[in-house]
Amino acid sequence: MGQITLRGIRKSFSGVDVIHGIDLTIADGELAVFVGPSGCGKSTLLRMIAGLDRPTTGTIEIDGQDVTRTSAAERGLAMVFQSYALYPHMTVRQNLSFGLENTRMPKNDITARVDDAGRMLEIMDLMDRRPTQLSGGQRQRVAIGRAIVRNPTAFLLDEPLSNLDAELRGSMRAELAGLHDRLKTTMIYVTHDQIEAMTLADKIVVLRKGVIEQVDTPLGLYNRPQNLFVAGFIGAPNMNFFNAVAVDGQAELPGGLRVAVPGNGPVTIGIRPQMLHLADPDAPALTGTIRLIEALGAETVVHAAAADGTAMVVVLSGQPALRTGETIRLAFDPDALHVFGADGQRLD
Amino acid sequence: MAGLGDLLGRAVLWPFVLLARLIDLPLRVWQRWTGIGGMAAVFLAPTLLIFGVFVLVPLGLNFAYAMTGGTGILLGERPFVGFEQYGRLLECEDYTRRLTCREDQFWTAVGNTGVFVIFQVTLMVAVSLITALILNRNIRGRGFFRAVFFFPVLLSPVVVGLIWRWILQRQGLLNLIMVNLGLDPQVWLNDRFYAFAATIGVSTWAHMGFYTLILLAGLQAIPRDLYEAAEMDATPPTRVFRRITLPLLAPNLAVVLVLALIRGVQIFDEVYVLTGGGPGTSTLFLTQYIYEAGFASILRNPGLAAAASILMGAVLVVLTLLQLWLSRRAEGGRVR
Repeated sequence: MGQITLRGIRKSFSGVDVIHGIDLTIADGELAVFVGPSGCGKSTLLRMIAGLDRPTTGTIEIDGQDVTRTSAAERGLAMVFQSYALYPHMTVRQNLSFGLENTRMPKNDITARVDDAGRMLEIMDLMDRRPTQLSGGQRQRVAIGRAIVRNPTAFLLDEPLSNLDAELRGSMRAELAGLHDRLKTTMIYVTHDQIEAMTLADKIVVLRKGVIEQVDTPLGLYNRPQNLFVAGFIGAPNMNFFNAVAVDGQAELPGGLRVAVPGNGPVTIGIRPQMLHLADPDAPALTGTIRLIEALGAETVVHAAAADGTAMVVVLSGQPALRTGETIRLAFDPDALHVFGADGQRLD
Repeated sequence: MAGLGDLLGRAVLWPFVLLARLIDLPLRVWQRWTGIGGMAAVFLAPTLLIFGVFVLVPLGLNFAYAMTGGTGILLGERPFVGFEQYGRLLECEDYTRRLTCREDQFWTAVGNTGVFVIFQVTLMVAVSLITALILNRNIRGRGFFRAVFFFPVLLSPVVVGLIWRWILQRQGLLNLIMVNLGLDPQVWLNDRFYAFAATIGVSTWAHMGFYTLILLAGLQAIPRDLYEAAEMDATPPTRVFRRITLPLLAPNLAVVLVLALIRGVQIFDEVYVLTGGGPGTSTLFLTQYIYEAGFASILRNPGLAAAASILMGAVLVVLTLLQLWLSRRAEGGRVR
């Protein structure tokens, strides 16, 4: 079991509120990712779940039991730190067994558990090395191994891949996903990297300024962002936004193209760069002037300025014959539009 | 204002600019002649000159004096006696009884210094470590206490000696307090045991701030994550101290230990002001013996003092090499 429930969690540091009342349930065996920009409170939230920080108000439950005032040691959770937090003067084996020794577990059992974790993470040949003798990826494995040996109720991972280079991050991401599939243990993963969030998560919790903006599956967030922040945060390149005024269920995009929108008054119309394609010559189109072309081979990223000056990005497949300074005419499926009201909330 | 500031700046810099222009041409010529390697010698020369005049020349003179006898001060007036001064210092009929030694005061000073170093260094490391551990915690007034503990380090050793003499002398502050509390006053500085203990206590008080600072820096360099990882692992505080804090502080502790040892062997000024080496010779330490043999005794013997200082120097060289070795070992094992 490993269901974690947060109820009305608030946290203040020196009178400054950083978490403003979080209610959230993470189901047993789920891999939940907390994502958001720097300072959004994701790490603070994780530390409160870990027991390293206490919430100012609210309760934390693990499997229905209130652990708000329970020490970190007694919560049965394991944490993987951003810095790995490996004991530099101990060998890998000593690092892995240190936590188990505190539980007065028999030595043979400790050895068996450490060896199991070592085999699972393919670090058996590193057991006698010290952390300083390991590469970043190897240290990361040891840090995960240290969490695994404790057989915790849930794993808490605080930006565990942020110190790795892009290539290693990609492979470690896949390994973490595989590990979660094998262990079936609840994992809470903190990251500011939306690709990590999208590829790993069963459920993504998008945070901003200490508030949950949206909780959904990765595709749920991508396809139906509930507000402008989530729409802009999830997806790369960022979603294009156009300000317009809706009259009688119609709004005009730069270039004069009219689209159907719910509601009336000021709206923001969003469309993902991948949802735009070159329009037929005579068809109505969203128009702009090309400012920059990034030809990536399989796709071409075009940066353009719409007729009203709004910056927009278009991802076109293949290698279309375009030149900087030209006018680009773009079409899209009306169903791909996201419309947000003046308060930034989704309208449909 | 900018114009005035510019003018002032130019006025201040003018002598340096002039100097730079004056030496520019000779330096260019020198560099063309010797290559870039020769420039290093030019820049090192002033420091080497100072080092030579104030360290190498006195060191050489010390070796020379140690080979001479008599009471004359000028080297030219002193007869060459070879290793006689060393022989005089080290000559004993029975090494277990210092009174059978030709220079029994030297052995008294060696014995006193040895005992002093053992107790003072142990106390120093323990007190500094405990203080650093306390100051490393998030206690109220931490900055104030750090300043308080470091303040004695800023005092001149003579001032330290005088302060504590005023406190510990027969009619000093401590006895005044004791009398007011209805206790019998003690002759702190005239009792062999108390006087020796006072030298240990006072020197520890005077220098512990420095060592505390080194240990505090070491404690603060231990990443907080490690303690949090230990907390998640349900590690008891004593085990955290034994298995995490102490091993990670070991390089700093080693440096503190050796520096305290070196300083302990060299102890002089504050003890000289506090007890003058007394009562009798109970707080006579090696440096004071050297000073008195060379400059303060009626039959001053600079050769004997020089020989004793070279023997003490040899001990300090060993301790310094130990410190270097420990520092390098610590550097090699530091967390990257």
